[in-house]
Amino acid sequence: MKLKLSSAFLALALLPLHLAAQPPKVTAEVIPITEALPDDPEVQKVIAPLAEEIKASFGQPLVQAPQGLFRGRRGEENLLGYWVSDVMRQAAQPLVGVPVRFAITNAGGLRANLRPGQLKVGDIFELMPFENELVVVELTGAEVIQVVKEGLLRRGGEPCSGVKVKVEGTPQQATLTVTWEDGSPIDPATVVKVATTDYLYGGGDSIPTLKKGRKPFTTGITLRQMLLDQCAVLGKAGKDLLPPATGRYAVPVPILEAIRDKTFKL
Amino acid sequence: MDRRHFLASLGAAAVASQVPLKAAEGPASGRITLLHTNDTHSRIEPFGPGNGAISGKGGMARRATLVKQLRRQLGSVLLLDAGDTFQGTPYFNRYKGRLDYQLMRMIGYDATTLGNHDFDNGVGMLVEAMASMEQLEHRNPPFAFLNCNFDCKGAPELAKRIRPYLVRDFPGVKVGITGVGVAFAGLVAPKNHEGVSWKDPFESLKPVVKRLREVEKVDLVVVLSHLGYDVKDAGYDDLRMPGQVAGIDAIIGGHSHTFLDAPVKVKQAQGETLVFQVGFGGVNLGRMDFALARGEVKAASGAAMPVVG
Repeated sequence: MKLKLSSAFLALALLPLHLAAQPPKVTAEVIPITEALPDDPEVQKVIAPLAEEIKASFGQPLVQAPQGLFRGRRGEENLLGYWVSDVMRQAAQPLVGVPVRFAITNAGGLRANLRPGQLKVGDIFELMPFENELVVVELTGAEVIQVVKEGLLRRGGEPCSGVKVKVEGTPQQATLTVTWEDGSPIDPATVVKVATTDYLYGGGDSIPTLKKGRKPFTTGITLRQMLLDQCAVLGKAGKDLLPPATGRYAVPVPILEAIRDKTFKL
Repeated sequence: MDRRHFLASLGAAAVASQVPLKAAEGPASGRITLLHTNDTHSRIEPFGPGNGAISGKGGMARRATLVKQLRRQLGSVLLLDAGDTFQGTPYFNRYKGRLDYQLMRMIGYDATTLGNHDFDNGVGMLVEAMASMEQLEHRNPPFAFLNCNFDCKGAPELAKRIRPYLVRDFPGVKVGITGVGVAFAGLVAPKNHEGVSWKDPFESLKPVVKRLREVEKVDLVVVLSHLGYDVKDAGYDDLRMPGQVAGIDAIIGGHSHTFLDAPVKVKQAQGETLVFQVGFGGVNLGRMDFALARGEVKAASGAAMPVVG
């Protein structure tokens, strides 16, 4: 077993022990609880150079994204979100050991577009500054459709993977069709594995049906790390990061506007 | 934390100061302060802006300062942690938990237990992080890993680093500390806990607490619990532990990331158990004070202390 300490830390660890244990001093000092605590110099001396290393790592190149990946304006599809949910579904599968049929995240959690060109580690941190974690739950087919519907009514459709969503008609009279990605119908009674985030599973962003998810598997993997890993795999293989195909959500613009104005019902 | 809770926490210390440290006859009397964290999740630095109420809080260098101040002020202090040290920031991805454990030794931790996320890189990497902490050259001794409900027979390198309990002697108080971990199912992928199996935590605790009381003759029994505070759909949590396992004085909890301002007192067969947990990420440092006379707890209280800069 080899120690891989940063050189700065190692050097510090090898310093002679100037600070021998001092006899305990008994004082009547009362520490006000609101007092700002200064950094302990010995501990901060270890952390500071490592914090610099972490910051420097943000400049490390990951992968080429010649077209970039964008969240899209209203009426455009959220290809960045499609990619994130695809990676979620793909990453979840080996962890649970069975197929994961559906993945959903929230567009509001994607904080920056990926601009065309060379992606760096820092770009993924800007896209995903949160520490949200990948969670796998079980839902019925009917619940998957309900989850899609709730995301649609609230935000015009949250980015997801594994299904195709079509809304037809007018804001006054619309129909919703949700199928698996190959166009096959979703059996309402079938039980499937669903990848999502701890934030959405915990009730964030008003997709209440996700909270009904059973047998939750909290993976401990942050979405950010998962995306970093995926970019690194592509980059190492000399492949480009390309946006997923369009056509996952088909929602007429008048209906999207009615959703935005909160006048739409399904 | 409000001032009332903090003042309450000083109550036990005040009572303790009036108890003679060495009784002329019979067992001694004394006091002890437990300082604790849980679910620190690689939060080496304070939380950045945009994190709501916890923005700007935490940070291991500040925690070190607070611990040093309290140790100097109180003397009899144990610094403990309830697990999930790993996972959550780029520090973990880069340093694989070695940095967390090494800094914990520098801050002066006495013991921790293992949470589910401490297995995130598998048993091998966990052992590597433990070993790097042991091998660090530092005036503080290595801290202990305490657990009594993992069967590590299939993972000998881990087994030799985990103890079922630890006994520490302070003037007038002998303290026994043990630890329990949450079930792996649904939390830890099978390949990441290879060689380690989980056993009923309450049944595992019973003989350990009995041994601490009857053989080791400790005055105070402390459990580091990574079971969660109030887990409705699980069979085991910290609020249920005192009713199931008699003889525990303090439960230092984790896993559920529960922010408590002060410990909750739970009745049990042999008196009361203080159950405490201080959120996550090192935002707060927990503190519980116990005053003992002739081997019995006479006063107990505590408070969460914010780690702010």
